[in-house]
Amino acid sequence: MNCDSVVKLIPLCFYGELMPEEEDRLEEHLLSCAACTREMERQRAMAAALDQRCHAELPPTLLDACRADLLAAIQGGAPRYQKPAKGPWALFLEALAATLSGFHRYRTPVGAVALVAVGFFAARFTGAGLPASSLSPAGEAFSTVRSVEADSSGRVRIALDETRRRVVSGPTGDPGIQRLLLDAAREDNPAVRVESVGLLTSRRDSEEVRDALLNAVAHDSNAGVRLKALDGLKPLAGDTQVRKTLAQVLLLDDNPAVRMQVVDLLVSHRDDSMVGVLQNLVQKEDNNYVRLKCEKALKDMNASIGTF
Amino acid sequence: MAQDAAGAVDARLSPQTDSLIRAAQRGDQDAFEQLVRAHDQSVLRLAMNLLRSTEDARDVYQEAFLRVYRSLDSFRFDCSFQTWLYRIVTNICLDRLRKRKVRKEESAVVETSDGPVDRMEAFQEEAAHANPERTLWNRELKQRMENALQDLSPRERMVFELRHYQGLRLRNIGDLLGTTEEAAKNCLFRATRKMRAELGDCI
Repeated sequence: MNCDSVVKLIPLCFYGELMPEEEDRLEEHLLSCAACTREMERQRAMAAALDQRCHAELPPTLLDACRADLLAAIQGGAPRYQKPAKGPWALFLEALAATLSGFHRYRTPVGAVALVAVGFFAARFTGAGLPASSLSPAGEAFSTVRSVEADSSGRVRIALDETRRRVVSGPTGDPGIQRLLLDAAREDNPAVRVESVGLLTSRRDSEEVRDALLNAVAHDSNAGVRLKALDGLKPLAGDTQVRKTLAQVLLLDDNPAVRMQVVDLLVSHRDDSMVGVLQNLVQKEDNNYVRLKCEKALKDMNASIGTF
Repeated sequence: MAQDAAGAVDARLSPQTDSLIRAAQRGDQDAFEQLVRAHDQSVLRLAMNLLRSTEDARDVYQEAFLRVYRSLDSFRFDCSFQTWLYRIVTNICLDRLRKRKVRKEESAVVETSDGPVDRMEAFQEEAAHANPERTLWNRELKQRMENALQDLSPRERMVFELRHYQGLRLRNIGDLLGTTEEAAKNCLFRATRKMRAELGDCI
């Protein structure tokens, strides 16, 4: 064993990662080599110095806050994994790919051309047999029938409202996408609201988005959505309107994770007008962690904990 | 702590964990919560040690367990749950370390529940009052250690943290990071060389 190979093995030896026979050979070399022995000593000294390095202590309330966040997010509708069912398009492509194995990169365009051809011929040969209606609701459309009138020739005239599902995509900065996200933030489905509010947070400079976030924090029924909106408001914690809303939320919200987050945001900017709000909360707060957080914030502001 | 983490990754799947996972896969929220509580402290510690920020550690915790929640159905018991979980956590932490490297924004200030603390000041200083020279020396050493750790690539930083501070075997580390034991060994070697060079005559 020469010195070059020993030097490479020294860290592994120190961490006990060598095979016993490798370790024996290394130790044998060390007995006769002062330079490598010094290397080993330096490795030990470095490790000892790194052991002295401060380990980040977990703040006592952090684990509870994390657990509360997680629970809120799950209750807020974080979706469980669902294996998407394979649609006819995927099945068709799979079958085509199996047939044309070796032509993977062509399978999508070939599949598309084949489908168009199938559609074309199907329309030519079966079209004559379809009922002659001026409108047939598509599978993806949801209809509400407004009126039904029969005429003397035996035909029926039906007036309906139609909502058709479609997919749009674009960057969050796109005004159309932003408008849809703002609407989605008011949808009934909490999972949709959580995702939308999360995406809107990157556009918080817009006044409309800021208002939507404030609205979600103050009025959304779901704690996961409220927490997401609070996250988005972090950089705006110094704004007067934001602080005013947060102060109200702090006193009214029934979720301790939300209240903890609000306290964090409020105390991130020194503001003596918050003293009264925090004192009020301390009086009525039944969650120990939130109360301790408020008391600490008041102490930091040199304010008394109780009101007189 | 080293024992905790090493134990967590090496542990065989206990029948209790096994049944908790199966119950959680069937949609039992209580079982999922118990599963989280059995592992979340070591996850949070690892994130905190690597990222040195309460806020980042909190985000990693949330993201990791939400990923577990969303994809628990795909867990097929072909490795231990702990290994699977640590794989998720280390990936998230690596992403964050990489982003930090790009932004170069890591500062010496650590966020704690008691407010921001300069991590250079947070070390326990041996006989600091008695010997000002020693204090200066300690500060120099600590500063260099922080520089040394920051100069490591995210992967080297992760391997070093998992081996030196968390006590995991390199074989497990390779498995967690989706690489070989040999690659983990090389990474550890590079990390120690870089740190030795940075620490220079301090050790």
